[in-house]
Amino acid sequence: MNKKVLMKGNETIAEAAIQACCRFYAGYPITPQNEIPEYMARRMPEVGGVFIQAESELAAINIVYGASAAGARAMTSSSSPGMSLKQECISYLAGSELPAVIVNIQRGGPGLGNISGSQADYFQAVKGGGHGDYRLLVYAPYNLQELWDITMLAFDKAEEYRNPVMILGDGVLGQVMEPFYPTPYTKPELPEKDWILDGCKGREPRVIKSLYMGEGELEMRNNLLQKKYKKMKDREVKFESYFTEESEVLVVAFGIAARIALSSVRRLRREGFKVGLFRPITLFPFPERELSILAGENRRFLTIEMNAGQMVEDVRLAVNGRSDVLFYGRLGGSIMTPEEVQKKILEIVHYRPHLSKTTFPN
Amino acid sequence: MATALRLKELSKKEDLFTHGHRLCAGCGAPIIVKMVLLASDYPIVACSSTGCLEVSSCISLSTAWKIPWIHSAFENAAATIAGVETMYRSLKKQGKIDKDIKFMTFCGDGGTYDIGFQSLSGAMERGHDMLYICYDNGAYMNTGIQRSSATPFGADTTTSPAGSVIPGKLQQRKDLTKIMAAHNIPYAAQASPSHWLDLMKKVRKALEIKGPKFMNIISPCNRGWRSKTDDAILLSRLAVATCHWPLYEVEYGVTKITFKPKEKKPVVDFLKSQGRFKHLFSPENEWLLKKFQEDVDIEWERLQKEASLYAP
Repeated sequence: MNKKVLMKGNETIAEAAIQACCRFYAGYPITPQNEIPEYMARRMPEVGGVFIQAESELAAINIVYGASAAGARAMTSSSSPGMSLKQECISYLAGSELPAVIVNIQRGGPGLGNISGSQADYFQAVKGGGHGDYRLLVYAPYNLQELWDITMLAFDKAEEYRNPVMILGDGVLGQVMEPFYPTPYTKPELPEKDWILDGCKGREPRVIKSLYMGEGELEMRNNLLQKKYKKMKDREVKFESYFTEESEVLVVAFGIAARIALSSVRRLRREGFKVGLFRPITLFPFPERELSILAGENRRFLTIEMNAGQMVEDVRLAVNGRSDVLFYGRLGGSIMTPEEVQKKILEIVHYRPHLSKTTFPN
Repeated sequence: MATALRLKELSKKEDLFTHGHRLCAGCGAPIIVKMVLLASDYPIVACSSTGCLEVSSCISLSTAWKIPWIHSAFENAAATIAGVETMYRSLKKQGKIDKDIKFMTFCGDGGTYDIGFQSLSGAMERGHDMLYICYDNGAYMNTGIQRSSATPFGADTTTSPAGSVIPGKLQQRKDLTKIMAAHNIPYAAQASPSHWLDLMKKVRKALEIKGPKFMNIISPCNRGWRSKTDDAILLSRLAVATCHWPLYEVEYGVTKITFKPKEKKPVVDFLKSQGRFKHLFSPENEWLLKKFQEDVDIEWERLQKEASLYAP
C-alpha cells in the first residue's frame, strides 16, 4: 500500500486510526473536523468497528472513557469549543490512567469564534485544560505525512503510558489535501493490558477510578502520575531543526505556523541570511533541553504562532534569559504569509541596538 | 387591541427578522421566525444557541434581528434566556421596569433534542416564564448534515450514510414534543409553517400563558433533505397531511389535535421528493418504507386516542 495517496487532513487522521487498529470512535459534529466522524461513520462498519455519534462532546468523550476501560483502542475528535466541553473527562481519563486518542482541530476563539485554523488552544492542550495536576502527551504535526505517522504513533503511546494523547491540529491541517505515503502500521511491543475491566471470573477484581479519599492516598497517586510525566519528558521529546547551528535568528514554531515559517527561512537562507527554524513536534513534553542548548548571546529567537503568544512562554523558560526571545502572531483564525514572517525575521536580522533609539521590534 | 391574525393586518406590521441574513434560499427557519415574531404584540427578547439561524443572522458586525437577541453556547440557550428572564422579573419586582416583555428562544434540533436538552429540561422544570421554540430540520445542517436524534428513521445523513448494508439512520426520532409535555408544563405544541394561522394562534396562546412553554416547528431544509429549493412550504404541508408531523397542542395536560387532515395521505407522498429518503424506494428497502408508514400510523393512532380522552 506504499503508493502515494491524496487525502484530506481530517480523513488522513481517520484512516490512519483505522490502520492503527482503532476500532472505536465516538464524536459529535463541529466544524472544521466534521470529516473525521463522517469518514468513521462510513468506514468503521466496513472493518467491524464502532462509530457512535453522541448527543454532545461531553457524551462522546465519556463514551470513549467507557470503551477504553473495557479495553478498546478508542478515539474522539473535536474542535476548540467542543474541546472545552471535553475537558472534565480528559482530566478523568488522566486520573484513571486510561489510554485514548483525542484530536483537536483548532479553530479561532474565544467563544464560538470562527471556523478557520488557529493555534490558540496551546495552553489548554499543554498545561492541562481540565482540573488537577495532569499532562497529556501532545503532538503537533505540520503536514499530512507527519499527521498520518503521528496518528498511528499516538495510539501506541497512549497504551504504553496509559495516558490520553492529544493530536493538536488546526483548521488548515484538517482541511488541506496533499499527497503522502501511507506507511503501513506495525504494532510495537506494548505492555499487556492487565488493567481492563472484562469480567473478573477466575481472577482478582480490578478497579478503574480517580477517586482517592484515604489519608495521603491521592498524594501518592499524584506522585506516581508525576513520575510517569517525568518519564515522558525523558523519552518522548520530538522535534525537528533546520539550519539551527549556524543561525543568528532562530525561528521557533509548531504545526502549520512552522510550515509557513519554514518557507520563509528557506528563502532567506538562499539569500544568504543566517536564519534557522526549530520545530517542536511534541508540545508536551516540550523540547526544553534542546532549545536551551541553542540559547546564547549571539542568537536571537523569534517565536511564530497563530495566537497571542502561548508557546513563546515555554521558549522563554527554556532559553532562560540567555537570548532575546521575540514573538510574532496572528489572532482569531488569521494566518500569516511567508512574506510576513520573512519581513519580521529581517527586522530582527537588521536590528542593531547601539544604532537604534527604538525599542526592539515586537 | 391585539393585531387581528389576518394577512391584511399582519402585512402592515414591521418584520422583526429582516432581509440581509445569510440563510440559504428556501430555508424554513426565517419563515418560522418571521411568523412567530409577527404573531406577537409584545416586545420580545430572544436567545439562539449555535446553529444555522444563529450563524447566518449575525455573521459579521450586523444582525438580522430587530429585537434584543443574544447568542449562547450550543447547549445553553434555555439557561441563558432563563437568566435574562430572571433578571427581568427581579427588575420588575424592584419597580425598575414596568413593560410586559416576553422571552423566547429559537434553536435548531441539534441544540434542542441533543446537546441542549439538559438545559431545556432544567429551565422548564424551574418554571421560567419563557417560550422555547425549536425549528426542527431533522439534522445538524449547519455543520454538514450529520444525524441528530430528530432525524427521521431511514434518512441518509453524513454520519448515518445509506449504503448497501446499512440503509441510513436505524433509530427512530425522539418525540420531543411529548417529552416536553411530560414535564407537565402549561403548554407544549407542534406546528408547521405551512399552516401559518395555526402556528400564529399557538404562539399567541403560549404568550398569554405564564410559565414555561415549548413549541416544536418543522423546518424544511433543502440542503439536508435534498429537495427542491422552493419546496419548503409544500414539504411541511405534506408532513402534516401524512401525519408524519401532526399539529397538536397539550395545554395543562389536555391534548388537542388542532388540525386533522380530511384524508390522511400515505407517508410516501412526503418522502418521495426528498433525496435523503431516495434509497428507501429501491426494492430491497421496501420493508423500511413499510416500517416508516407503520410507525406513523401507530403514533397517529396514539395521539388521536389521547386527544379523544378530552374531546368535548
